[in-house]
Amino acid sequence: MVDKVQVEEVTKCPECGSEHIIRDYERGELVCGDCGVVINDLQIDMGPEWRAFDSAQGEARARTGSPITLTRHDKGLSTEIGWKNKDSYGKSIPSRNRAQMYRLRKWQRRIRVSNATERNLAFALSELDRVASGLGLPRNIRETAAMIYRNAVNKNLIRGRSIEGVVASSLYAACRQCNVPRTLDEISAASRVSRKEIGRTYRFMTRELNLKLMPTSPQDYVSRFASELKLSGETITKGYEILKQADQLEITSGRGPTGMAAAAIYIASIMTSERRTQREVADVAGVTEVTIRNRYKELAEQLGIDLEI
Amino acid sequence: MEIKVENVVASASAGVPLDLQKISMTLEDAEYVPEKFPGLIYRLKEPKTALLLFSSGKLVCTGAKSVEMAHNVVKIVLAKIKDIGINVMDDPEIKIQNIVATTDLKKELNLNSIAISLGLEKVEYEPEQFPGLVYRVEYPRVVALLFGSGKIVCTGAREIKDIDIALQEIVNELSDADLI
Repeated sequence: MVDKVQVEEVTKCPECGSEHIIRDYERGELVCGDCGVVINDLQIDMGPEWRAFDSAQGEARARTGSPITLTRHDKGLSTEIGWKNKDSYGKSIPSRNRAQMYRLRKWQRRIRVSNATERNLAFALSELDRVASGLGLPRNIRETAAMIYRNAVNKNLIRGRSIEGVVASSLYAACRQCNVPRTLDEISAASRVSRKEIGRTYRFMTRELNLKLMPTSPQDYVSRFASELKLSGETITKGYEILKQADQLEITSGRGPTGMAAAAIYIASIMTSERRTQREVADVAGVTEVTIRNRYKELAEQLGIDLEI
Repeated sequence: MEIKVENVVASASAGVPLDLQKISMTLEDAEYVPEKFPGLIYRLKEPKTALLLFSSGKLVCTGAKSVEMAHNVVKIVLAKIKDIGINVMDDPEIKIQNIVATTDLKKELNLNSIAISLGLEKVEYEPEQFPGLVYRVEYPRVVALLFGSGKIVCTGAREIKDIDIALQEIVNELSDADLI
């Protein structure tokens, strides 16, 4: 949730409410044009890299257009003919040229994708975008997932596996790489690929691509689950604390991270008297109530927490 | 460290094609449903093992608790088939395909730190998918599953001594890294 707010752009000055906001690229600042308050400084320029350190790079950089992205099969470098029948001045194209434009558009579309490999890549990346949108994943994770998928293609790992399955596990891996792990069930629900297949493909890909991913820790799930349960920040902090202690006591070994996170949230919610039922927590975390009961008994016993219910 | 062999899988060949229909008529406890599975399933009560017989004459023995037991069971069953009147080979070549063994380190393991410190080449630990840690030993080619309770399941070995070597290697590696 926190990430999403930061991604959104500031459109209003928090001081005077003016919508006249100036972006100063020289200084990397976001300034209100009316009252002069500096809303944000040390901004990162997300634009393309224009610096060149030798002449070859200089030539390569001398281009126009949007920055290249891995999420498009042609890295966003090819031309598209717009669907509107308007020329570059915004005037509509005379009807005697309409048919010509239609043909041009058709052939442009056909030529863009040159062979089967590229067609598959285009399909896979659009599928990746679809699933990522369904999960509400940000840009950087999509790029990472596209990178992993392209690596898998280059190493010929797709053969014998479904494109959808590899796409889903690329996303799963990307989420973990960016430290915002989704559960296999979440990915599976968004992608129409079974949890089992995603897991299997994921394990295969980590082995073949040498993705060095640490096992997910329960802490990574706490804030997401808690905010879905509409719990306060105090409860989240409490949940983190419980898991930290559990980690030190080494009782997380061999336990599913989602179950641990769910139990910690459950205990924390009771301690801060924002009680959620086991059922509610279980639904959000995608584990069973029995798991929560077992884990929370273990946790309460080991950490010496007394819970009156 | 006490190693207990849990299962031995062996394969052999009778040398001649088998008439499964005929065998299933004479042998009790034989289960033969070609629509479900093309082989004949023959479950022995003593020793408790199961055999799969195929029409090509190949057979597979599972559930034996030792290599000798697997050899004996194959011989017993081939003798029974011979009694029915099918001329099978007297001295079949029996090959051990897989041995599964368990052991207990009698010590709780922290799988998380094992996964991190042993590097991710030979170790695979996905608590979301499976509670155990998968440890692939390069040579002998054996896979061990390590659990938080300290119990280990070792599988994929063709010989008993492979399991000894592999488990010893794992234990050495773990104590070198100061994990047990």
